[in-house]
Amino acid sequence: MVVFPPTTPAELIALIIRILTSHTFVTIVIFPGFIHLTVVVIFLTWYERKLLARIQLRIGPLYAGGPGGLFQPLADGVKLIFKEVMVPYKASKPLFLGIPIMLVFLSALPFAVIPFGQHWVIANIDVGLVFIFAMTSLFPTMILLFAWASNSKYPFLGGLRSLFQQVAYEIPMWISTLSIVLLAGSLNLTDIVTAQQKMWFIVPAFLSFVVFFISIMAELERLPFDLPEAEPELVAGWYTEASGAIFMLIFMGLYMKLYLMSSLVTVLFLGGWWGPAIVPQPVWFILKTLIVATFIIIPRGVYPRIRVDMLIKIGWTRLLIIALANVFLTIILIDTGLLAAWGI
Amino acid sequence: MTTLAIPPDVAFVVLTVVTITGAILALQAKELIYGAMSLALSFIGIAGFFALLDAPYLAMLQIAVYVGAVVVLILFTIMLVHREQTPEMDERTASPENSVGLWLAGLLALAVSGVVALAGTNLPTEAPSATLPISDLGPVLTLQYPIPLIILALLLSASLLGALVLAKVER
Repeated sequence: MVVFPPTTPAELIALIIRILTSHTFVTIVIFPGFIHLTVVVIFLTWYERKLLARIQLRIGPLYAGGPGGLFQPLADGVKLIFKEVMVPYKASKPLFLGIPIMLVFLSALPFAVIPFGQHWVIANIDVGLVFIFAMTSLFPTMILLFAWASNSKYPFLGGLRSLFQQVAYEIPMWISTLSIVLLAGSLNLTDIVTAQQKMWFIVPAFLSFVVFFISIMAELERLPFDLPEAEPELVAGWYTEASGAIFMLIFMGLYMKLYLMSSLVTVLFLGGWWGPAIVPQPVWFILKTLIVATFIIIPRGVYPRIRVDMLIKIGWTRLLIIALANVFLTIILIDTGLLAAWGI
Repeated sequence: MTTLAIPPDVAFVVLTVVTITGAILALQAKELIYGAMSLALSFIGIAGFFALLDAPYLAMLQIAVYVGAVVVLILFTIMLVHREQTPEMDERTASPENSVGLWLAGLLALAVSGVVALAGTNLPTEAPSATLPISDLGPVLTLQYPIPLIILALLLSASLLGALVLAKVER
């Protein structure tokens, strides 16, 4: 029996246990919340290094404990925390130190609306998809401000490139999700996944999947679209001046955004938590998300970087047209009742 | 079981403070970048008002379009255009009577909002009587208000064409 306010120690313990086991606490702090996100981000940094190493016939992290150097990210984290944070000469100190925290915050916040299972969602709001896009659309601003705050020419050039790339690819990304919204008839991510019980949306909306996937590659500044951090030209792009804990925060933000976009692909196209009921729903979700993340990481070890003019041409003259055409195609498919067998 | 919710009046006053402070700082900032950031803060406050008025869709679009796109355009322009430091401009923004006037105007707006928030029951902070689900937004826009929608579309296309014409003349 839980009594509030507690009067005896036993009641206090009962209250604490009640709070710790409540659905709100568990979802925010443990499962789709902080602890799960931190663990996955730490795992992804190791996973990317190992995967790229295997692609390029190297070994990758090996010595830092665990199988295959699994504790390498922890060693890196400890090293980065104890390093000195160098603020460049005449840099804007509040922006330089504040923006990395904002990056982590902005990439963690959208996980509040991602459904990891039928009941594993922190905030089941009706405008979930728009909420995610509203949060991710703040990234270019933050990156440009960080680049400006560094008071250095390479970060600034990288920041400008990042800005025009992300703003340009946001538009095809939004429009390609429009056909998913039409198919599911809702902006609520839980409803979108529920609508895919009979057939994953990658089948009726394959074009939209292609456009969305290319757009998130550009949004995440992954190869072949990593012009903002082109190492041969710009040292390390917009985070050249970042060091120590600031560097760690930026990388946490970037990997969290990678995980966010992968899980968004899972929600919109790969049927979210649906799968044979032998294993629990969140396991299916995380498995699919990690497979998507693998496909986002692999090009980094395989493809060369494209030129700026190619980037602009692909975004504005190819993806945008395909995305718009796909919306009309989807409307026709729905109106003619061809998809009625899948409950659409 | 009590729920932990912020009373709408408190939220209204806090959002008013955020919006007005952002707007005043946007006018006051010596460095244009900080001005643009303050403007973003003001826009976020307005998005909060939309959320308070039970229009979450509008609030999200306010953040995505205004903070995500308009502020980015302003920042882009500030950074691309070579800005000359004119002492006259610095003097104008830094003059005490100017800033005092701005802060007084802000305080007045705050006082008005405070009075409105404390006045009575029929406040603008109250949620509209019939809230519209997001799924009804499309039918209402296209069936109930088709003419305003078409006029808005025309306005947007006109501004787009105008921008194209202007860009071409400059070249």
